[in-house]
Amino acid sequence: MSTVERVARRPRRNRRRLWAHLPLAIVAVATIFPFYVMIVLSLRKGQSLSLPDALLPFHVNFGAYADVLAHAQVVRWMLNTAAYSVLSVVLVLVFASFAAYAFAKKRFFGRNVMFWTLLATLMVPYHLTLIPQFILISRMNGLDTLWGLIVPTLANTQALFLMRQFIMGIPDELIEAARIDGAGEIRLFWQIVLPQTKPILATLGVFVFLWHWNDFLWPLVATRSPDHYVLTVGLNSLQAQDSSLTVTMAGAVLTFLPILVVYVLLQRYFVRGVTMSGLK
Amino acid sequence: MTTQTARRTEPAGAGRPARPSRWSRMRRSGSGIALLFVAPYLLLFLVFRIGPTLAGMALSLAKYQITGIVEWRGLSNFQRLFTDDLFWNALRVTAVYTVIAVPLTLAVALVMAQLSARSIRGIRVYRALYFLPVITSLVTSGVIWQWLYAEHGPLNGLFGLLGIGPVPWLSSGAAVLPSLSLLSVWTRFGYDMLILLAGLLAIPKEYTEAAMLDGASAWQRFWHITLPQLKPAMFFVVILEIVQSFQVFDVIYVMTGGGPVRSSYSLVFFVYDQGFHYFDFGYASAAGVVLFAITLVVSLVQRRLFRED
Repeated sequence: MSTVERVARRPRRNRRRLWAHLPLAIVAVATIFPFYVMIVLSLRKGQSLSLPDALLPFHVNFGAYADVLAHAQVVRWMLNTAAYSVLSVVLVLVFASFAAYAFAKKRFFGRNVMFWTLLATLMVPYHLTLIPQFILISRMNGLDTLWGLIVPTLANTQALFLMRQFIMGIPDELIEAARIDGAGEIRLFWQIVLPQTKPILATLGVFVFLWHWNDFLWPLVATRSPDHYVLTVGLNSLQAQDSSLTVTMAGAVLTFLPILVVYVLLQRYFVRGVTMSGLK
Repeated sequence: MTTQTARRTEPAGAGRPARPSRWSRMRRSGSGIALLFVAPYLLLFLVFRIGPTLAGMALSLAKYQITGIVEWRGLSNFQRLFTDDLFWNALRVTAVYTVIAVPLTLAVALVMAQLSARSIRGIRVYRALYFLPVITSLVTSGVIWQWLYAEHGPLNGLFGLLGIGPVPWLSSGAAVLPSLSLLSVWTRFGYDMLILLAGLLAIPKEYTEAAMLDGASAWQRFWHITLPQLKPAMFFVVILEIVQSFQVFDVIYVMTGGGPVRSSYSLVFFVYDQGFHYFDFGYASAAGVVLFAITLVVSLVQRRLFRED
């Protein structure tokens, strides 16, 4: 009610607000349009794909989804991707937080040398290490296995740095007090330090999940048989095999949907993660 | 408990006590335990990061047979590389793509950050929408955009209404890199925008208000206050974008396969193609070393440019 009155009293301000919305809305439409295209096309099995009909949302036919799911492998690809992402998140966080705690709160032989080495390797492009990593994993018979996919991605330096930064902010007095109370080193870590890092664990977890869910190059070279593909590699193979456009788009929707759900549920962690990485 | 706390805080109040020796400091904080905490990460890091980095450099000086035999070849891979037209083409493609994609993405991100820094209703919804392409895998994006760019696709349909086209988005050598750059704007601006937005919101309001009182125009305020204040965030975003552009691969693999006629055959695509298509691991590694060198030079130059004052 009161808004209406206010608006009525200030028509000029209202018009200015409308102008402020205009560019934002245009860009929003441009951003959404490809997603709209993906969804509409995925629902047009057996229909003409000529324009402009193809883009009108009047046909709803889930046939393409039935087709792409009838490929038993699409379900496998989903499970493979979920395993790759979830296990990686857990293990990356465990290894990174262990190491970050030591780097942040302990002195040990070679700490600074190790730290500068870690920092320096951030400059090395992933693609230089890809071939040796491939040779190593294939020699260990790790191609087409889950562990072979996961293990090389676990030494995540960015995760270590962000964790270390955060743990450095935990007051030494807190740790010292628990130690005086007789807590052992392991208990100290699990019960005092780790609970303090919950916000950063959530933020990092979301991002590690995103990286792995969308990872393409490493799964592309590390998996050979379609049984072991992840969704990105599988979707690419759908397109490369000249599956019909509607089936490929249904596959694209299925690839996108889980990450969308994660994004909607945990949006604030995404935003926090981005700004943290930028203003470090 | 109280007495212990009191005893511990005492030296701080009493001025500077003698520093305990390095060894006893390590003992007290448990150097052995610390190494146990670092060990699992460090092991993974050595095996899957340091090892492959060194091995990649070594391979660039060798020929790797599929049987696993390594033959040292000195600098012959690099000699071949620098006389290979395909390699120079890959460098050119990567450079042209970077020169188009990075400024375009940054410009859109900066404008959108500025626009969404205002507090109007629904601004959170806009920001959330702009981030959607960032969470989408590049394979998914590539699959969708390939159809958007198709000869009879929606973009040409739209252009047709204006009497233009059809534009050969992905099928002509001249258009393919600008088309891929446009896709890069769509996939990346939401991320950069959030970083720049955080930088914008951190600028104290008093600065712009004071400038307004002094009669500075909107453009002057942007140029003399906003932009200098935004420098750290810009520095980060520029480096990020350049590195990303230099390593463009996924969309090329999905959409063009390096074509048409190698006109989107980027440096990382070269590494992949030589390595996993021709299985010439040594030659691919040499190209990887060049990528590393370029990355180093670019980031050092930028550090110079941005951190000077």
